[in-house]
Amino acid sequence: MSLKVLLPQLWIAGMVLQALLAIVLLAKKTWKNFPVFTIYSIFGLMMGLSLYSLRFSKLAYNQVYWFTEVLGLLLGFGIFYEIFRTLLNSYPALRTLARSIFQWSALGLMLLGCIVFYSQSSGDHNPLMSTMLVVEEATRTIEVGLLVFLFLFASAFGLHWRQYLFGVALGFGIFISVELVAVSMRLHFGHTAEVAVNFARIIAFNLSLLTWLGYLLIPESTARNTDLPKLAQLEQWNHALTELIHQ
Amino acid sequence: MITFIVLAIALCAIALLYFVARSRGIHAAGQAERPVDLDAFRTLMDRDDEEFLRKKLSRSEFVHLKRRRVAVTVKYVGRIAKNSAIVLQKAENLRQDANAEVAQAAAQVIDMATQIRMQCMVAFAKLTAEYLFPSLQLTPATLEPTYQALREKVLRLGSLQPQNAAPLATAI
Repeated sequence: MSLKVLLPQLWIAGMVLQALLAIVLLAKKTWKNFPVFTIYSIFGLMMGLSLYSLRFSKLAYNQVYWFTEVLGLLLGFGIFYEIFRTLLNSYPALRTLARSIFQWSALGLMLLGCIVFYSQSSGDHNPLMSTMLVVEEATRTIEVGLLVFLFLFASAFGLHWRQYLFGVALGFGIFISVELVAVSMRLHFGHTAEVAVNFARIIAFNLSLLTWLGYLLIPESTARNTDLPKLAQLEQWNHALTELIHQ
Repeated sequence: MITFIVLAIALCAIALLYFVARSRGIHAAGQAERPVDLDAFRTLMDRDDEEFLRKKLSRSEFVHLKRRRVAVTVKYVGRIAKNSAIVLQKAENLRQDANAEVAQAAAQVIDMATQIRMQCMVAFAKLTAEYLFPSLQLTPATLEPTYQALREKVLRLGSLQPQNAAPLATAI
């Protein structure tokens, strides 16, 4: 079976998954904590349905497609902010430091985004398509960089990710990373890579949808205590430490 | 050129996501608190002991021994860092407790554990410098009292919520 035949089937599967995700998000009242993510998911479903119905009308399809892409990129920053805010909500002592590091990282990544924008050229003959792809590559570079920063920061400080939060971040990370690879390949190889690139994008998006659904539906496991020493041991340590401090 | 840089960033991100998801799976399977022998930790950081060794040993022997001491100290700091992360996770579960006193104590524990994580990073940097330049003396002196304070706060949390936090206090 060729990729061209598989693409519409994967597209429909994606819309079914998007519909399921929207139901789960609304049923679990996730919009309270993740309003932008909920809007992003519902908006994605509606745009997917619109694009599917317009697939034979090239002009209308292109207009809706680029509108969806631009809004998707902007909402991506909103999702990133929601993940960042929710993750640091429990750690007030880290907020100032995190904001400071985040601002510098964002500045550096925006600079990188500008470099990507100005130095990149597309193999596409359509100037609008070419510009949009370069903008998308630059924006995705910033988003991927911010997400990498967030995962590294959380790992360095041993921050605990709630299951649903981790799921949102992981799914979003999978999607935008593969998107970045796909857009870069599309820019580099031009129109010839389009089918393979679209296939990779749909697979990545469906994988993200499965990740979001999985992490939202599976109940969070609780940590267990193992082989815990006696209280007397703690008292011994306390005594030794007090001696040390007063030496 | 820029395409390769962008591709490298994207592929690094995918690899990072894979490792993060994998390590989360491993942690979920079983995360055990490990005790820290603060007595031994104190001995390792003792500068008098180090001065004694510096005088008694040849330079090459001292460098070799100092590096081994630093390596062991790094393991202790690593264990403190890991224990703090476990404390963070468990205290976070208690932060929304119906009992306001428990929630407040949990918040204090979170603050303290966060500070320890920051100090651990500083300690790692200092110990790396000491490993590279053994003649340096950059003891992570503030880490130990803070870790002690964390224990006290976890113990207090344990007295408020004995079934959850008391075993943790004894474990760290």
